[in-house]
Amino acid sequence: MGGGDGRCGPMSDGGRALCDTLFPAVDVLLKAVGDTPIMRTKKWAVERTRTIQGLVDFIKKFLKLMASEQLFIYVNQSFAPSPDQEVGTLYECFGSDGKLVLHYCKTQAWG
Amino acid sequence: MTDDKDVLRDVWFGRIPTCFTLYQDEITEREADPYYLLLPRVSYLTLVTDKVKKHFQKVMKQEEVSEIWFEYEGTPLKWHYPIGLLFDLHASNTALPWSITVHFKKVVELLFFLKHFHCNLFLVSRVRERLLRSANFPEKDLLHCHSKDVIEAHFMACIKEADALKHKSQVINEMQKKDHKQLWMGLQNDKFEQFWAINRKLMEYPPEDNGFRYIPFRIYQATTERPFIQKLFRPIASGGQLHTLGDLLKDVCPSAITPEDGEQKTQVMIHGIEPMLETPIQWLSEHMSYPDNFLHISIIPRPTD
Repeated sequence: MGGGDGRCGPMSDGGRALCDTLFPAVDVLLKAVGDTPIMRTKKWAVERTRTIQGLVDFIKKFLKLMASEQLFIYVNQSFAPSPDQEVGTLYECFGSDGKLVLHYCKTQAWG
Repeated sequence: MTDDKDVLRDVWFGRIPTCFTLYQDEITEREADPYYLLLPRVSYLTLVTDKVKKHFQKVMKQEEVSEIWFEYEGTPLKWHYPIGLLFDLHASNTALPWSITVHFKKVVELLFFLKHFHCNLFLVSRVRERLLRSANFPEKDLLHCHSKDVIEAHFMACIKEADALKHKSQVINEMQKKDHKQLWMGLQNDKFEQFWAINRKLMEYPPEDNGFRYIPFRIYQATTERPFIQKLFRPIASGGQLHTLGDLLKDVCPSAITPEDGEQKTQVMIHGIEPMLETPIQWLSEHMSYPDNFLHISIIPRPTD
């Protein structure tokens, strides 16, 4: 099975499947919004299959926030992706200059 | 154009006859009759099942009621996927009504069993373990939905994501907050005209272009590990020709249309029908998207009868 589903496939599938196996992680740049604490390390290599929820849990741990505290993630400063969205898909659709820029905030920023 | 507007209505008013049954292990004071409902294909389970909740709450103790969730033949149904998509993906070629199992109950106390069944400790723990597995909210598969606000937030986020692809978010950002609210109210109250008064703006494009920048689509297959395929895809080729549904599938999911051993083993389904692969994807996006402005496409096994 091929066609860009992340598994090995022949080059005739437009190279997408091969791309997925050669580059399993994507570069994510995390930007703080408002007075949310800034992460010391902003650029991360994140596995394509990691979900937004997984990323939120990671950021919370890194910033030593409580699990009960809310954290909102935004793409293109315009929409909040679903917690089960995969980072790889967001990168494919909204990445630029080889990275996906995500804004994070403790309060709702762009509704 | 009159015909095309009819498609918009047909999509909006699509219904799936459904039978809701309470999960059999949920011990209740009295038997609960199944509850029958016509579900709107374009809406979300947690938005349209208040009556189902009320019906089953009647046979349960208030303190036992917990967050409702739905399941079909063992598969938890994601409330944040549109109902029509869930049906096409999981139950498309089965007999109607669609039989959905309702889960509602907090895990029964260990004490209850000790008191009422006089089981030995080993048996009690086995039963409790089974109850925990069956009655617990499936955290790995489902998002929580504690209020209608959660559904609204999810719905609006999808619309915004779709417009980011179609118009670099220009159209959605130019709208006022009350326009956004009208989209949600139209969906919530099943008001076609109210919804489309605003949504038609999201279906427009500059006269110099022949379509959207990229098409918002998601392709689902029940058989794969991935939740869905979503990639950038232009509706117009560099030479100006309109890309078709077949072109999209060839590019992002060729296995969906490649015959195996000379046979077409899969169906490509949107809103319960198989559109012709020659259909321009721009037209499909304008006329057969869900209210969230996405084309949700199911690839399912072709029935072998």
